[in-house]
Amino acid sequence: MCLWAGQAWLNAQEFKLFDRTVQVHGFASQGFVYTNGNNWLTMDTSQGSAGFTDFGLNMSAPLTDKLRVGAQVYDRNLGQLGQYHPSLDWAVADYRFTSWFGVRGGKVKTTLGLYTDTQDLDFLRVFALLPQSVYPTDLRDATIAHLGGDIYGDIPLKHRLGDLSYTAYAGHRSDSIYSGYPFYFSSFGAHITSFGGLQYGADLRWNTPLKGLLLGAARLNEDITGKGSAINPFNPGAGLVPYSEASKADWANQFYGEYIVGRLRIDSEYRRYWRNEELSHNTSESFGDVRGWYVSGAYRVCKRLQIGSYYSRYTVTNVVAGALSAFYPPATDTSLPANHDYDKVITGRVDLNRFWNLKIEGHFMNGYGSGPYPNGFYTQVNPNGFKPNTTALVLKTSLNF
Amino acid sequence: MKNHRILSFVAVVLMFGSVRVLAAEVKVIANRSVKADVISAGDLKRVFLEERIALGDGTHVEAVLEKDGPVHEAFLRECLGGTDDDLQNYYRALVFSGRGSMPKELGSDEEVVAYVEKTRGAIGYVSARTNTAGVKTLVIGDNSNHEDRKLIRRVEPKYPETLKQLGIGGTVHLRVTISAKGNVENVELLGGNPILAESAINAVKQWVYAAGHSRNVVEINVPFDPER
Repeated sequence: MCLWAGQAWLNAQEFKLFDRTVQVHGFASQGFVYTNGNNWLTMDTSQGSAGFTDFGLNMSAPLTDKLRVGAQVYDRNLGQLGQYHPSLDWAVADYRFTSWFGVRGGKVKTTLGLYTDTQDLDFLRVFALLPQSVYPTDLRDATIAHLGGDIYGDIPLKHRLGDLSYTAYAGHRSDSIYSGYPFYFSSFGAHITSFGGLQYGADLRWNTPLKGLLLGAARLNEDITGKGSAINPFNPGAGLVPYSEASKADWANQFYGEYIVGRLRIDSEYRRYWRNEELSHNTSESFGDVRGWYVSGAYRVCKRLQIGSYYSRYTVTNVVAGALSAFYPPATDTSLPANHDYDKVITGRVDLNRFWNLKIEGHFMNGYGSGPYPNGFYTQVNPNGFKPNTTALVLKTSLNF
Repeated sequence: MKNHRILSFVAVVLMFGSVRVLAAEVKVIANRSVKADVISAGDLKRVFLEERIALGDGTHVEAVLEKDGPVHEAFLRECLGGTDDDLQNYYRALVFSGRGSMPKELGSDEEVVAYVEKTRGAIGYVSARTNTAGVKTLVIGDNSNHEDRKLIRRVEPKYPETLKQLGIGGTVHLRVTISAKGNVENVELLGGNPILAESAINAVKQWVYAAGHSRNVVEINVPFDPER
């Protein structure tokens, strides 16, 4: 009876306001993670952690045939991150002049590859966690949205060559101080008070004439500034001093493909993220090179059951020049576990009904890629050092309406 | 003896009429504000994927779906190329990333017809046997080079009286070659009841399209509804 009542309520999600239909949608998920090696994603996973919760609620309505407005609030707790500080996830006014040209403005989800704009929505996929080499959930703020605008459209190609979809955007990215990068910096005694800046780029995808095959490429450029305070490494006893970092060259390239045939879906993406930053008021400079790729497959066994697997490969190198180089030796050997994370994953998903699913997922990771750019493993929750291998069990359940 | 002949006739009709039977059970309907009589398969898909909110003539359009059932499954398979789960995930991705809205979903053919009739620009699909008085039926054409060829003279097919009395209907699926001048050069049967097809082919051969830059090949559905 409760299930029936719940399902009936989940089906009713719209009302009339000034003769316009307002839709209301929401989602929530709860995860549990247990690891036998390192603590992962800022949780105390070696003891088993359920600090893996998120939810969102949105409302949207068409104001005219071409103009639509809406907004979504999002909140999460992921171990030490998020900490239930709600954020405006997106709030857009979207005007579609024609199928091949539209404009949306406000706080807009960033289009970058297959899943950047939907990375929080695990109920759309088989996997509980997207491949962390390309979609690190602890660093979601880096790419999730921008305050600015997009132009977008879909262009059918002649001679049965398929369709092109494009999005170009520019705006201001602003990271929460409860996100992964500020948390990572706190391990050095630094306290980031603001992190963000200009973000612009484009995504072009081609629905090819081969049914089910999509190919795409995306580019993201950034001019980011981070400010706060940090312990002076040259004189730790002097207390906190102002800290800053700013982009000199900060970009990401992403290439991707998706192939859906029958019940089988195969995805693959490659992302290279290059960070050249000036540090501590231009006394030093860092050169970071983050590369990730994955291949995933998902198969629908029957209406209620899906299985999936992926291989995800992440490497990071970093070189610091200038005054701070004495404290940060070059990290260039990607064969070291500190500079890579290779993750083999298997997943099963059961849909209890149209709105509710359960997932069980196993991760078999080699490496911990702990810095100089974080990727799930943090020293604060691994005070005794890292182990080279980590096996993780992830259980997750999601609701949406 | 007469009953035996009728049963034999029905058996033959059903046997030969089973080609593409699922596609033949669905017809696409639209609110009368939609000016077009023909919609390409590509445009129909784009309307249901919310990539098009207006047709080439500027008419506003919006998709209306059935919640489930064989007509819904057949439409998804034949026109959108996926399952209901695929489509729901597609819409959810739009809804939760601020890119679109959930389309209207209704529980029966009758509800779809009623909604389409009263909603400007609405395009839906129903069983071919549904009474669709009050809305228009769209012919699905797959224009090979994306050039819109407007139908300017349409001749309705004659419904064979015997089949109508027996309540036998369905949709005939045809591939039509249109000359640059707009005349129908060739009609090829792709599926449907062969007796209804003969009538449909005779009618379609008399159709005239607007002149274009080159010859076009389109695929169309011609519905036969015994209750109309």
